Amino acid sequence: MALAESRASGASRAATQPTWLQNINLAAVLVGVIVVIMPVIASSFVLTQIFGWSYMLGTIALSLTFLAGYGGMVSLAQMTIAGFAGYLVAILGVNGVPGGIGWPWWLAVPAALILSMIVGAAIGALAVRTVGIYTIMITLAIAAAFYYFTNENYAIFNGHTGIDGIPTPMFLGVDWHAPLPSYYLELGVAFLCWLAVSYVVRAPFGLALQGIRDNPRRMAALGFNVNAHRIAAYVFAAVIAALGGILLVWSYGEIAPGTVSVSAAIDILVIAVVGGIGNPIGAFIGALIYAVLKTFALDVLVAFGLDGNRFRLLIGLGFLAIVFFSPDGIIGLWARWRNRARSGSSRAQSSGGGHG
Amino acid sequence: MNQFVARRPIWSLIIAVLVIAAIWLVFAPWSSGFEAIFGRKKLFLNAVLNGITLGGLYFLVASGFTLIFGLMRNVNLAHGSIYLLGGYFGYLAVDATGSWLFGFVAAFIVAALLGVILQVAVFRRMEGQDLRQTLVTIGISIVLADLMLWGFGGNSWQIQTPTWLRGPMDLPLITAVKSSGEAVYLSYPIVRLVIFLASVVIGLGMWLVLNRTRIGMIVRAGVDDRDMLSAMGVPIQLVFVTVFAFGAGLAGMAGVVGGTFQSLSPGEDTRFLLASLIVVIVGGMGSIPGAALGAVIIGLAEQIGLAYFPTYAIVLTFLIMVLVLAVRPQGLLVER
Amino acid sequence: MDSVAQRLSTVGSANALELRGVTRLFGALAALVDISLTVRPGERRAVLGSNGAGKTTLFNCITGDFPPSSGTIRFFGEDVTFFPPYERIRRGLRRTYQISALFPGLTVLDNVYLAVRGVSRGRYSFIRPRRNDTLVNAAESLIQGVHLTPIKDRFVAELAYGQQRQLEIALALAGAPRFILFDEPAAGLSPTERAELVDILSSLPAHIGYIIIEHDMDVALRVVERVTMMHNGRIFKEGSPQEIEADPEVQELYLGGGHG
Repeated sequence: MALAESRASGASRAATQPTWLQNINLAAVLVGVIVVIMPVIASSFVLTQIFGWSYMLGTIALSLTFLAGYGGMVSLAQMTIAGFAGYLVAILGVNGVPGGIGWPWWLAVPAALILSMIVGAAIGALAVRTVGIYTIMITLAIAAAFYYFTNENYAIFNGHTGIDGIPTPMFLGVDWHAPLPSYYLELGVAFLCWLAVSYVVRAPFGLALQGIRDNPRRMAALGFNVNAHRIAAYVFAAVIAALGGILLVWSYGEIAPGTVSVSAAIDILVIAVVGGIGNPIGAFIGALIYAVLKTFALDVLVAFGLDGNRFRLLIGLGFLAIVFFSPDGIIGLWARWRNRARSGSSRAQSSGGGHG
Repeated sequence: MNQFVARRPIWSLIIAVLVIAAIWLVFAPWSSGFEAIFGRKKLFLNAVLNGITLGGLYFLVASGFTLIFGLMRNVNLAHGSIYLLGGYFGYLAVDATGSWLFGFVAAFIVAALLGVILQVAVFRRMEGQDLRQTLVTIGISIVLADLMLWGFGGNSWQIQTPTWLRGPMDLPLITAVKSSGEAVYLSYPIVRLVIFLASVVIGLGMWLVLNRTRIGMIVRAGVDDRDMLSAMGVPIQLVFVTVFAFGAGLAGMAGVVGGTFQSLSPGEDTRFLLASLIVVIVGGMGSIPGAALGAVIIGLAEQIGLAYFPTYAIVLTFLIMVLVLAVRPQGLLVER
Repeated sequence: MDSVAQRLSTVGSANALELRGVTRLFGALAALVDISLTVRPGERRAVLGSNGAGKTTLFNCITGDFPPSSGTIRFFGEDVTFFPPYERIRRGLRRTYQISALFPGLTVLDNVYLAVRGVSRGRYSFIRPRRNDTLVNAAESLIQGVHLTPIKDRFVAELAYGQQRQLEIALALAGAPRFILFDEPAAGLSPTERAELVDILSSLPAHIGYIIIEHDMDVALRVVERVTMMHNGRIFKEGSPQEIEADPEVQELYLGGGHG
């Protein structure tokens, strides 16, 4: 179920390369330095609204990139798991409804992660019962069902109003809700998840997942239990999505059905595809674009004399443009541009004898 | 059916028992002891009838969805948006002309036109790329949803039931027996019954066309082997466009139905897309009878849930979907 | 690993592969009818027959893609009739495909590494293999065995057809195979490549038995000791290569009257 033919070079190196550290290129280091010193450059607003949000959304989208790009499974239920984890933290901890079981964060968070893994496994078990395009359908149905459930149910989820007053914990003497600590917390989690995914996709687990993406029948004939492997992939993705969801709930201090709406679930897909599902960094590129668009769409639209509320229209059109012209996302565009630049310069260097 | 009974005696027995129980529940008067436990019979009957008639509406939407998938392997996630768009334009047509029936015509035309544009301008260029086509339908649903929000606003629009269908009629179903021994019959909105009948007629019509006409044969052959069909000189692209337009048109007409039964507002597109998804997951992709069965099951589940445990209603629908996926993933009426 | 397989294969009197009364129906189509087949450990067998005779269906059934409609399949004495494919593979069965079934998004080395991994423990490992990892070394020597070392880091999508066929063989030799099913390994190969194939097949360790489906009689009859002829889903003849070649019925039906 390949969306694009090419795989970005970052994702495909021989299994024997001992230290992937050697291969991190200059661009990556530059980006890394910039995001670390960002608080010095950017205002508090940009820090939380653009970057912090990109890190959190990007983490959730990363779980989709992992499943879709490396496993061939497009799951629209990743935002569902993220929201589920967020709701759990609200329900298991303290919240402002008022309510909550009152567990401390170091109990609530692990519990939320474990339960999210179980739910991820359940979703995976359902989704692998059928093949290919059905995964989107089934996960979409699951996402929608969860949305309607949180909307209708007051006993557990407090219905349409949602749950607010969710505190971000204090630990190590730091208030992690303040702009600077929360920025680094979100950056840290995003970075760790990115690292984990980049590393794992070339470990036996990830490599086998890629094999399953390319030819599941063959993998079975090589001795792999394909369905068990796929479900394990869903569990791994669930952890990542759950982490993103918990960060979201700490950042906003509240959660409502709108967080897990069908639109939100689709937005995660849009983010992953626009950035490029062939490479883990694509999720964060897509998230950054989304965050920038969402923050400035109102002003830009009004400046052009259009209705300022038409953010979703822009998202839809942008998504269509990518799917039509560059299905492997921004990363694909960049890779093709780079190749063209390289071949262009090498052609200029050679004496002009062509093999084009 | 004889084959089914022969091959699966236990399931047949279970289904037979359930059917008999259902018939008894519906037609026999309930004793007061029974009602003390299960609630009033009127509530039950209303839920059942609402469920069945809602199933008719779901069938109209889902059958288009399953038809498009069955022939072109295209999961059209913009199907809900087409439903809503058809509904809105149907409303405008009814408002302008005062004719409820004309609303259907307008809805069908608008929706079918959209279907033609989609098939010709978009899907034909992405032949064979299932995932990419589906992503495009997602993008289109996003765009359409926002355009509709822009154009029609966030309020609910309700299509007026035409005067000749307004009001209730008495059905031969007993809700209670008065102390004088006289039976009280259920009265139920005529429009819902008429629409249900219309869905049945349309469903039968589709089945007949698919299975008893030459064009239906072409469509079914295309499902199995489109290359062979085009090699035989059949204009396969024309068949695709026709089927897509028809499927979309059906969804559009369903929008007018939904606008009459309930209302039209942002979010209904998602709701009916979800309903279509669950109906075809339960009934089986590409199967019209499957869509009918799935629609009735899901309609019933939703209304019974709404009547008896409203804050958990969606759970029942969801559980049915999960059960089918676990036990018979290809759907109830589809062979693997 | 191979010596263990060697000992396992020759211990006891269990047949490597034993099919009894295997029938497979697809709706009204009887693809396999009452197939009974016995192959000894280390035996080399050819299954021949015209297109549609049921040869590949037979392989699919033995591999476990679907269960037989009736009958039993035993692999080294164990009843594997309803085992999923991965259980059979982990017991030493291997298979190549008529149309190369490879992983185009991965390199040659990745492909073979997966084959080696599939029959070893640690399939879910999150730790990347080190430089001198046993399995990576095993993969590299397999690649060497099929003469693909120069291109081990190339993506499969970029390989020539013949190279893909060689890779296909390498996948089947991974781990400790006890019995291999080769489905038309010579299809589309040049004469030199064909000679190489015969080489590889002939020099397989003696304890590894195999069944080869082939249309190329030259290749098939040179690398096997026994031939099974199929026709319309049934086995209609069995014998040594010479017997089969000389048999008038076979000549009529399959060889077109007068071969060689």
